[in-house]
Amino acid sequence: MKIITAIIIVFIALAFGTSWVVAVNNTHAIKFVVPKGWPQPVYDFKQNPLTAEGFELGRKLFYDGRLSKDGNFACASCHQQFAAFTTYDHNLSHGFNNSFTRRNAPPLFNLAWQKEFMWDGGINHLDLQPLAPITDANEMAETIQNVLNKLKKDTAYRRMFKAAFGDENITTQRMTKAISQFVVMMVSANSKYDKVMRGEDSFNLPQRLGYEIFKRKCINCHTEPMFTDYSYRNAGLTTDDYLADIGRMKITNKPADSMKFKVPSLRNAAVTAPYGHDGRFVSLLSVMNFYRNDVVNYSTTDSLLKHGIPLSNFEIGQLTAFIYTLTDSSFLKDPRFAPPGFENRMPAPPAEHVH
Amino acid sequence: MQVFKNIYRLYFMAFIAEYIFFRTSVRRNRRCHKELMPGSKKLYLTSILKYTVCLLLVAFFFCTAQLANAQQKLNNITLQFVNKAGEKLLNADSIYTNPFGETFTVRTFKYYISHIVLQDDATGKRQSYNNDYFLVDDADTSSKKIVLQTDLNSITSIHFLLGVDSLKNVSGVQEGTLDPVKGMFWTWNSGYVMAKIEGNSPVAKTPQHAFSYDIGGYKKNENTERQIDLKLPRELNTENAQINIEVNIMTWFNAVNEMKIANTPFCHEPGVLAKKIADNYAKMFSIQK
Ligand code: HEC
Ligand code: HEC
Repeated sequence: MKIITAIIIVFIALAFGTSWVVAVNNTHAIKFVVPKGWPQPVYDFKQNPLTAEGFELGRKLFYDGRLSKDGNFACASCHQQFAAFTTYDHNLSHGFNNSFTRRNAPPLFNLAWQKEFMWDGGINHLDLQPLAPITDANEMAETIQNVLNKLKKDTAYRRMFKAAFGDENITTQRMTKAISQFVVMMVSANSKYDKVMRGEDSFNLPQRLGYEIFKRKCINCHTEPMFTDYSYRNAGLTTDDYLADIGRMKITNKPADSMKFKVPSLRNAAVTAPYGHDGRFVSLLSVMNFYRNDVVNYSTTDSLLKHGIPLSNFEIGQLTAFIYTLTDSSFLKDPRFAPPGFENRMPAPPAEHVH
Repeated sequence: MQVFKNIYRLYFMAFIAEYIFFRTSVRRNRRCHKELMPGSKKLYLTSILKYTVCLLLVAFFFCTAQLANAQQKLNNITLQFVNKAGEKLLNADSIYTNPFGETFTVRTFKYYISHIVLQDDATGKRQSYNNDYFLVDDADTSSKKIVLQTDLNSITSIHFLLGVDSLKNVSGVQEGTLDPVKGMFWTWNSGYVMAKIEGNSPVAKTPQHAFSYDIGGYKKNENTERQIDLKLPRELNTENAQINIEVNIMTWFNAVNEMKIANTPFCHEPGVLAKKIADNYAKMFSIQK
């Protein structure tokens, strides 16, 4: 009997071993946590399984100026963590050779729920996103091939690509997947508002009144829990003659989409000034003043905004108090998203961990 | 290798099944006929041996059959793309004249070929190559030759998609010929350039008199991929066969829609113009007789 059992064990070992031993890789999977009550993410994690190694590689790439032509413009130069990964205090971000981007850099968070990217939704997959700034003459002004060549020359990168993907091959797909692994983990769901919704905290009076006003006047477009419905709308901003930005129409060629832009999320809005697709609003107050006084009634202006949004000074105060509750300071200080090597200068990490 | 692995697994599974079956039957025997006890172990072992031999035999036949199958002759069939400008072969420095009398030179000429289907009308058999995407680049001789393995003995027509199907346009960053590093992908308005011609023409009122048609668009109303169906002049035996496919760039200017360089030196985005040019390039292929 013993012999038989032994033979069988050997058989089992062989049968399983031969088929799966090749697939085993020494990466450490990391879990993407969907906050309670949120919809399922649209990003397809099966095509790009998250690993600690891929995430680390993505982080290094995100903070590496070598992705741009003159070495100065890392993703992080326009997407700064303390400003929820938008460009702090700039209406248009600076890029290669003293040029300006044509639009205001959006903050980066909750990207896993986003189907299309950029203010006009021109990019249809998160993995493709890094290719746009890398090759845009106003941003990083580099070619994909040159970036790959620079990475291939670097032993640290070769080692990290091997750790993340099994061998030292450095390709466009691997580079962009690694960056996606890093940015897709940026989930902002721990603001005071979220805590109140989870029953862990409560609004003070102005915040509560502000939330009520928000639900009446803003929520059709800035829909919970993402604080955007990801639709494209013309909010009635006058067009800038110099930029002449037709927004969504550039992508669809449909006149009905003229001057429509993706509704921005209002999460972390307190730290993402300036506002609007070209950064024309310097403060939340100037956005509110726009809504009550300056909405232009173009043919494509959203039907909800044809007459602007009536707001009293009092209401603006309450609304602002509410918007401040959307600031997620644990996200803004999360050491996982800090530059590699800077983790220790950050405050203690929050409860969830990468590994 | 795969064949062996499969056989091996099959055999292994059968073995386990037999073992379990046998054990239960032995136990049953034990319970019913106690007198069988002393001999049962021997019986058990010889029986296992028998089974093993039997299974090995079966596996052997199965294996040889599969191998024979796998070794069934595959023919190599070569598609050779011959890029031309009218009657002349396409050359980087030559000057050509389009149907409107406009002279021009071509610096870049590239197009995607995918979803190739070989078909034999006589037997109704088809063979599809759905996962192979080819980028034919006039500047790269090897890219103009596509070699396919087929088990069809003869074919009468060939079908393919000029361009990249919409699914691949919305599935992130691809590898191989579809790698965006090939310069056939728009990064600001995601999507593949299905085909492009870039060059110069004195009639183009642009810097350096450049003209360029980068044609793409995969969405329903902007589709620029085109289905190409080519009938062979006669049935072709696929053994070491080669099919020469002529690709005439002159069709880009007037096959269906008039496209004068002087009026339209650029097309760089999906839309009505791109679709018109796509209708033109849909006619650029023919089988060399
Ligand atoms: C020169 C400044 C600059 C650099 C460098 C830069 N970006 Fe951006 N980023 C922008 C601007 C501006 C936009 C919005 C552009 C638009 O909508 O047309 C943007 C948009 C985005 C978006 C879309 C966000 C959304 O909500 O739609 C993502 C994601 C992003 N960038 C990631 C990156 C990554 C990853 C890198 C590095 C490979 C990078 N960016 C480098 C300025 C920059
Ligand atoms: C009809 C839809 C709609 C409604 C209703 C609406 N917004 Fe907006 N909101 C937009 C759009 C679209 C933009 C982007 C405008 C642009 O830049 O072109 C925007 C931009 C903003 C911004 C700037 C955000 C940034 O990061 O640039 C703030 C702040 C804002 N809205 C607050 C509000 C408040 C507060 C209300 C309610 C009083 C409100 N919105 C109602 C559609 C709407």
